[in-house]
Amino acid sequence: MIRTALKTVFAHKLRLALTALSVMIGVAFIAGTFIFTDTIDQTFNDLFDDLFEGQDVIVQGETEFDVGFSGPPPMDADVLDAVLAVPGVEAAEGSVGGMAIIYDLEGEAIVPTGPPTIGGSMTEDLRLAGNVDLRDGRTPEGSSEVAIDARTAEDNNIAVGDVVKVQTPTEVAEYEVTAIIGFGESDNLAGATFAGFELATAQRLFELEGQYSSIVVIGEEGTNPDLLRSSIATVLPEGVEAVTAADESAAQSEALSESLGFLQTALLVFALVAVFVASFIIQNTFRIIVRQRQKELALMRAVGATGGQVVWMVVIEAIVVGLVASVLGIAFGFVIAQGLTSVMAAIGFDLPSTTAPLATRTIIVGVAVGLGVTVAAAVLPAVRASRIPPVAALQDVDVRLRMSDRRRTIIGSVVLVAGVALILNGLFGDILDLGPLNELTAIGVGALMVFLAVSMLSSLIVKPFARFLGWPLPSVDNLTGTLAVENSVRKPRRTATTASALMIGLALVAFFFILGDSIKASAGAAIEEGLRADYVVSVTGFSGGFSPALGEELAASDEFDAVTSLRFGFWDRDGSDEFLMGIDTETVDRTIFLGVTQGSVAALGEGGVMVHEDTMSDAGWVLGDTVPMGFATSGLQQVPIVGEYTENGIVSANFLVGLDFYEENFEGFGTDVDFVLAAKAADGVALEDSRAAIEAAAVDYPNVEVRDQAEYRQSQEDQVNQLLVMFNALLILAVIIAVFGIANTLALSIFERTREIGLLRAVGMSRRQTKRMIRWEAIIVAIIGAALGIVVGLFFGIVVTAAMGAQGIDVLSIPSVQIFGLIIFGAVAGLLAAMLPARRAAKLNILEAIAYE
Amino acid sequence: MTSTQAPLTGAIAARIDNGAKIYGEGDTEVRALDGVSAQFESGRFTAIMGPSGSGKSTLLHCVAGLDVLSNGKVFIGDIELGSLNDKDLTLLRREKVGFVFQAFNLIPTLTARENVLLPLLIAGDDHDEQWFEQVVGILGIDDRLSHRPSELSGGQQQRVAAARALVSRPAIVFADEPSGNLDSKSAAELLDFMRRAVKEFGQTIVMVTHDPVAASYADRVVFLEDGKIVDELLDPTPDSVLDRMRQFGA
Ligand SMILES: Nc1ncnc2c1ncn2[C@@H]1O[C@H](COP(=O)(O)OP(=O)(O)OP(=O)(O)O)[C@@H](O)[C@H]1O
Ligand SMILES: [Mg+2]
Repeated sequence: MIRTALKTVFAHKLRLALTALSVMIGVAFIAGTFIFTDTIDQTFNDLFDDLFEGQDVIVQGETEFDVGFSGPPPMDADVLDAVLAVPGVEAAEGSVGGMAIIYDLEGEAIVPTGPPTIGGSMTEDLRLAGNVDLRDGRTPEGSSEVAIDARTAEDNNIAVGDVVKVQTPTEVAEYEVTAIIGFGESDNLAGATFAGFELATAQRLFELEGQYSSIVVIGEEGTNPDLLRSSIATVLPEGVEAVTAADESAAQSEALSESLGFLQTALLVFALVAVFVASFIIQNTFRIIVRQRQKELALMRAVGATGGQVVWMVVIEAIVVGLVASVLGIAFGFVIAQGLTSVMAAIGFDLPSTTAPLATRTIIVGVAVGLGVTVAAAVLPAVRASRIPPVAALQDVDVRLRMSDRRRTIIGSVVLVAGVALILNGLFGDILDLGPLNELTAIGVGALMVFLAVSMLSSLIVKPFARFLGWPLPSVDNLTGTLAVENSVRKPRRTATTASALMIGLALVAFFFILGDSIKASAGAAIEEGLRADYVVSVTGFSGGFSPALGEELAASDEFDAVTSLRFGFWDRDGSDEFLMGIDTETVDRTIFLGVTQGSVAALGEGGVMVHEDTMSDAGWVLGDTVPMGFATSGLQQVPIVGEYTENGIVSANFLVGLDFYEENFEGFGTDVDFVLAAKAADGVALEDSRAAIEAAAVDYPNVEVRDQAEYRQSQEDQVNQLLVMFNALLILAVIIAVFGIANTLALSIFERTREIGLLRAVGMSRRQTKRMIRWEAIIVAIIGAALGIVVGLFFGIVVTAAMGAQGIDVLSIPSVQIFGLIIFGAVAGLLAAMLPARRAAKLNILEAIAYE
Repeated sequence: MTSTQAPLTGAIAARIDNGAKIYGEGDTEVRALDGVSAQFESGRFTAIMGPSGSGKSTLLHCVAGLDVLSNGKVFIGDIELGSLNDKDLTLLRREKVGFVFQAFNLIPTLTARENVLLPLLIAGDDHDEQWFEQVVGILGIDDRLSHRPSELSGGQQQRVAAARALVSRPAIVFADEPSGNLDSKSAAELLDFMRRAVKEFGQTIVMVTHDPVAASYADRVVFLEDGKIVDELLDPTPDSVLDRMRQFGA
């Protein structure tokens, strides 16, 4: 039995290859995601292991909750003396760090788009330096020397002895480069630029005089780090803790990995979409295969094979296809991972080119998904195959094994309603309590159900739809057009499934188009209504913030009437991260419209928190309630609600506090920098003058961007567009799989219609006409897929946008040009899919086709 | 008897000169046609007979431009097929040649009417409605024109195929066992129509058959054996054909 099955598999290599290809792409995407994130994980693990190399204990400010990358609060310098006095301590040094931007020799600031610009003190005792090593030169000394990382040096042709400008929170000054440093094997810290100073200089530059961010300790030969840690802990003042270097390294790399977990999840979701699309292709292929082998299978039944054996024959073929595809997919995953790494490099995250070894998890998941999906998709056709009665071998008619249209309609409708219900429930909640099923999963499962249902139901409308699409065809392309339309509706379910595979990818593209356009429109409306300021100054990339001095300078100048600074901060809301904006309550009325409905901005100036109306009502809070807010420095605070506002479009936070409150709770935390400035020009000042003034002031701040209202709006749109491009690029894989699907189905259908094509050729159809006929058919199928996709995408887009009012997306905007463009895209995809099958059909040998049985 | 197209007595619709068709090489070499020369006059109905494997289909395919000879020449009218490329051959088949095969003659997605008009539709040419109606009328399929092939009987399907072969008024029609799958009554109807097409409209038909009765509808029978023409018979009757066949042990 197995041997017979295997023989058929290998007798149809092309079919095997095309089917496997679709699964392979999906598996490769999954494997690539894992390999990519594993590589990042390993990179960071290595990085932190190296950074803490040779160190035993780290002494640092204690935080109330995990603050991730903002770093712990500083401690007094005299803690070092206490630590040095602990028995068993061999050496210890304090260090400080902060933001520092290096300028190149032409005087341009070097600001990577993604990674941060770091500055810090260099240890005197090299044993304490971790893996930091001097590639060239000597450790900087005094107030005008700096060490820079090897990558920055190399990329900008900076050598020891050159003089460069460096900006720190206090000043922009010139320093002589005395050292080029590396970090073990790496030339930099995951893409960040680094400027190292002598300790005293660093303390002054980072405004941490008499303080340390952390103290690095190494114990005497043979000391146990855990014991050393305990003894150091006993001498530390309150608010300062000691951790072993190993723990700190693990904690930091874990924090980074966690922040990348989102990336992994997002990529996996796109990979699963691809696999889902592939499952349609597989199911279709096996259905066609079973049909084509109907006689053969019936003959096997007639000579005594049981129904179960027939199922096995088909399933074995699926297993072979699934295994081959999974293995190839995992191998191809390395290419995808490399591609993702390049994309990251392109947006500024420099990851080493080494790739993580293949994790067992990657292999297991890859094979499980590849094999599982293939076999699952083949089971239905296999079971149908087993129902082929033995007499079918003797009859010339097709045995109809498919579900009746009535059953199809009923099942399809039920699945559709259930799917829509799940989505709506996930989006708007509280209709039905789903218990452990969380909202996103509900939406995801609902979306899958909608896709399945539409695919089932669409076979019912394929006929009229294709005829409708095709009605102008005969007048354009007489016979080939008619034949193409008729061929496309011959097997409505086959066409429906093929079209559905394309539908999925295009529905998601349409969905992102609508959501993106709505976000842009909402942001535009928010800016129009909410931004009273003429200019918005914001920080570029992830460089944190910029010195409040800029805001002060602008506020003091005659050209400006009001300058509002906004500061960003994380806080702990019942164990999960939430963020707030600290705002200048005195000027905000003139720069940003908040739509205060209860309380007042003036009251916010006195303390307390102002909450967005939707958050208020979701949490059931009323004015005067207290919100428990956990801050890294000041710990848990009970903060009274002193106001409610409706417009969060510009401040983009649902919690607002005054700047005094902000400073109290984020003191010394590296976050006491401005994040955004909203500046309103004084009355009567010409546009050119205010612009010139603000540009001139901003010159000294290389990581800020000055935008007027129109530019600000454009920048918001650009951000959304960038995300759209990224999502659509990820969806391309799903679309490519669908194109393979169309090609595969066409090829198999052409194989079925060999005689017919032979006949057409015999009575005078030219090769070109044959090709055209196949192309039209593919285009019709693809346009059906695109149209279905647009319908489903519109639904998703509209309901999701409706559900996102609380996130400030309150305008629904449907980009009709892009949406319509998807139809044309679909047609082009169909044309591409038809390329090979059409050529095959045209090359068909007429005599063989006529003789074909 | 009125004829819309008078037979051009003596004109040659197609001819094959010393045609050879060789399949395979060395040990596996098969000479499907081995030096065949024959002429098919305009306005005549020729039957080709011979034992299975004698090369009948091969001869038909080669003369009809569906296959190419290994050696020798084929002419349709005065066009030598060997000089034509694929595109010209396709055009020639479309314009000058009609076909009726043993089975699978019709496109399942097209109606009977569209199937009849297939060569003209492919060419994008207008058809002569009067001629069309005459043809389908004689064939008795005028009330079946809007049906799909799956809704027609085997005999009706073959008649639709015959109508298709005639509707474009080709120079020559080739039929490979057109009645092979039909019962004797349907076969008789089809063959009778083919003979009428020759007699009344001056159509030229070349038909391969195994059946002496079918062959008796023709004006002439050519006997093939081992790729060679071994005999021919004018104005055949079933009996005279059977006699000849016995003679050759077929
Ligand atoms: N494509 C091919 N390759 C190899 N040999 C072939 C091919 N086509 C035909 N032949 C051989 O050529 C010879 C003539 O075949 P042909 O089909 O013309 O016979 P036929 O007279 O039509 O037979 P039948 O009455 O059975 O239809 C046979 O021996 C056949 O095996
Ligand atoms: Mg034959």
